[in-house]
Amino acid sequence: MAAADSPSAALRRDLCSRGIRLAGKMRADVVDLLDAYVEQQGLDASASVAAVEGVPLAAVERWDEQTGTQRLLENLAAYRAFRALLAQMLEEQREQLGEADAGLGRALAAVLLQVSAFAYHLEELLRLESRGVPGEEEDGPPPPPRLSLFEQKLRGLGVLRELAQWAVRSVRDLRQLAKPSPATGTAPGLAESP
Amino acid sequence: DSHTQYERVGADVTMKCGSMDWDAAVTWTVNGTDIDESHLNGSYLILKNVNLSQSGQYACYEGSSWHLKYQTSLRVGMPPKEPVLMCRSNNYPKGFYCSWHLPTPTYIPNIFNISVIHGTKDMVCEKDATPKNRCHIRYLQLFSTVKYKVTLTVTNPLGKNFTTLTFDEFAIVKPDPPESVVAKPVPNNPRRLEVSWQNPSSWPDPESFPLKFFLRYRPLILDQWQHVELSDGTSHTITDAYAGKEYIIQVAAKDNDIGTWSDWSVAVHATPWTEEPKHLTTEAQITETTSASTSSFMAPPTTKICDKGAVVGSGAVAVCWTAGLVVAAYSVLFI
Repeated sequence: MAAADSPSAALRRDLCSRGIRLAGKMRADVVDLLDAYVEQQGLDASASVAAVEGVPLAAVERWDEQTGTQRLLENLAAYRAFRALLAQMLEEQREQLGEADAGLGRALAAVLLQVSAFAYHLEELLRLESRGVPGEEEDGPPPPPRLSLFEQKLRGLGVLRELAQWAVRSVRDLRQLAKPSPATGTAPGLAESP
Repeated sequence: DSHTQYERVGADVTMKCGSMDWDAAVTWTVNGTDIDESHLNGSYLILKNVNLSQSGQYACYEGSSWHLKYQTSLRVGMPPKEPVLMCRSNNYPKGFYCSWHLPTPTYIPNIFNISVIHGTKDMVCEKDATPKNRCHIRYLQLFSTVKYKVTLTVTNPLGKNFTTLTFDEFAIVKPDPPESVVAKPVPNNPRRLEVSWQNPSSWPDPESFPLKFFLRYRPLILDQWQHVELSDGTSHTITDAYAGKEYIIQVAAKDNDIGTWSDWSVAVHATPWTEEPKHLTTEAQITETTSASTSSFMAPPTTKICDKGAVVGSGAVAVCWTAGLVVAAYSVLFI
């Protein structure tokens, strides 16, 4: 069992545990934010929201077959996208509503902070595996067309729902990553290239 | 030739004797027994306000020749009421199952048809061999925000009905209760009970999808439960049990992150360890040889006269001491 106790294996387990706690807390806060958002924006909680452009979908096929690297890369891409989306929501929030929804704005900002922290944490995990951390696009996607107020609210609902889903998926992904592989003591899928 | 005829309970049924004229002389039988002529209108058999007991094999014979002219199997029943449908994932993330039943019987054969739609995609729900009113689906995607829509249609010769369920992937996750729950006293610890259990065997991957647990326990003599929530591990030591009291203990499970709690496990009973007072052994021997007239002084061996753990105070000690005296007195008598 010597391989299982190697410093990098222990560090990875530690990073995964912390990541799991981060994701768990993030999810709890996103769920609370969702409730507050639905109420404040006067939306119907059960409304079906069509997949919104630019929102990374948590849904995945053959999840159990993914390699560790795939998991990290997909998570990182998602949270980077959420970082931009939440920043935009915060911007719109401030424009529209001023003082009335200061609480909502603060909650949004708090979640944005956690999303950024989690993205950074994922980068750490990727670096640990000597995986190059993909650079972020300098310009990003072109700014989306101005939406009506109602469309903004619906998109916000879609963003938060998908983020809540991602938070659960990330916990599962990190648990998979934290599992030692029986032969080498390293996490499954991380030793090989994707 | 023979066929089957389905009629609603309470309906009025008229049976014609095949191609026979209305005024032909015929005899009707049900399950081989002649039917009284009062039920006939000419050669037609009239059954008013039929009930379930009138189901059976009806036959019509020409009067004199006793040629069989017509026969039918009458099945009295009802159209289906709205079926009861339930879907659940007790083996997440593999898939989920749906099961159904009718709230009231129809007494005639029913056909069930189930459809599962995920977004725009039709999914196949594979019917289980047993039980027959159940089918299962494998998840093709995980972590989807798109809801599942399950529609169950029930059809029989008298009517049709259906019900629809719409749900999220996470909402229906409910594990089976924990298995092999065991509760044991802890030697030399009158207030402890050691409880252990196992993950339900239907939960496919407890390592990647860990379960958390809820333990409840109470002494049999009280109604109020104590609760403990445990985020990991499959064992727990109760440290505040009432000494000498028999406890009832149950455990429930839930995925750490999503879904709802399982049903409670099978209940187990356990009593914390108590010190056996030494003179109780002697008392048992005496009870065997003592005649009935002295039994008012001697409690049966199973009753704990000295319930030391429950009451700390002179009362309990006095009882023990008195019992000791009585036992001593009888020992002297029988030596």
